[in-house]
Amino acid sequence: MDRSEIENLIARVALKDRAAFDQLYDRVSAKLFGVCLRVLNKRAAAEDAMQDTFVKIWKNADRYSANGLSPMTWLITIARNTSIDRLRARKKGHQDIDTPGFELIAPGLNPEQAVVAASEASRLSGCLDTLEEDRGKAIRGAYLDGETYADLADRFGVPLNTMRTWLRRGLIALRECMSQ
Amino acid sequence: MTEQTDIPRDDDVLAAELVLGLASDKDVIDGRRRMSTDAAFAGQVVFWQERLTAMTDGIDPVKPPARVKKKLLAQVFPKTRVSVLQRVWLWQGVSMASLLFAGYLGVQLLEMNTRPGTQPTVLAAQLVSDTSGLQVLAVVEPVKHEIALRRISGEVIPNRVFELWAILPDQAPVSLGVLPDSETVRVLVPEALRSQAAQFTLAISDEPIGGSPTGAPTGAVLAAGSMTEL
Repeated sequence: MDRSEIENLIARVALKDRAAFDQLYDRVSAKLFGVCLRVLNKRAAAEDAMQDTFVKIWKNADRYSANGLSPMTWLITIARNTSIDRLRARKKGHQDIDTPGFELIAPGLNPEQAVVAASEASRLSGCLDTLEEDRGKAIRGAYLDGETYADLADRFGVPLNTMRTWLRRGLIALRECMSQ
Repeated sequence: MTEQTDIPRDDDVLAAELVLGLASDKDVIDGRRRMSTDAAFAGQVVFWQERLTAMTDGIDPVKPPARVKKKLLAQVFPKTRVSVLQRVWLWQGVSMASLLFAGYLGVQLLEMNTRPGTQPTVLAAQLVSDTSGLQVLAVVEPVKHEIALRRISGEVIPNRVFELWAILPDQAPVSLGVLPDSETVRVLVPEALRSQAAQFTLAISDEPIGGSPTGAPTGAVLAAGSMTEL
């Protein structure tokens, strides 16, 4: 996917350019819908989540600026977080994790860091596979299925603290593997 | 939330937990606050975001059904209001038009129109053009001496602005100001012109940022229309 093309479209959407919004939808909706479907696993819910996602994109495009975060990462993050918020919405006291654009208030990555981030990202899948099997599964479960520490502790039949320790070790191992 | 764990959690692990959605509510609130003040921490969060989003690389795109786009566009650009206004352009029936404009102008005018014994003249204009695609609806609010404008279609050219002009018969156009790039805007009518509002032709010209440097329109006239009494 052409990064500068998407960046351009987002910049125009920030100026409330409707034609650009239309084009951005045509360009990225299939990927974002795939992500929503993967998380929610139900078509109707995924359709609603994607509609919400694009409303957020329309409203918050001015908070995205080309500062090192890849435009697809930004768009996918909104779709994934919106979907997970929907998935968790039934739970009492749930606090939404999604605040589109929030992560971009502070200066983002400089170009050099962006290159490093991209190359580390390319190693994610391989590195997840090198983790102890359950740790890799837990990290995937958190990211793609919105599982919380409590959900994961249930699933793996371990106490909550053990789960936290486990997963944090997994994250540290993951970071080491990716940065090699 | 203060359970002991045998690994101390460093900032980078907290950043990853925020991205994964594993952080506690309190950590989320604190984390967001920190991100807005601590660039290094915000960088760590963004870094994890970039890394972990790679988990979606293997997810195949799925073409969403066309109705999703339809619903989305209807939500983001509410069309029903526009089509109602489009009907008003036909100026059929003063009472219906007044009613619809009352809705458009907000509560004040509605109150004025329904107050017994007061029926202020309502002036309206549709600014259109055969070529530019710009369509703007203008209504003079008689009490506040404001012109309420609503852009129905047309976009500002990048790095250019719309400037609104009032033109009286046989007189040079008087600038009413540069219009912000929003769908609706209110413009105060200069005191000297208020009594003659019924004779206005309103026009919108294409100008450099900051407005016409000469005091007269310098760019193309994108839309114009004269006042009608409703």
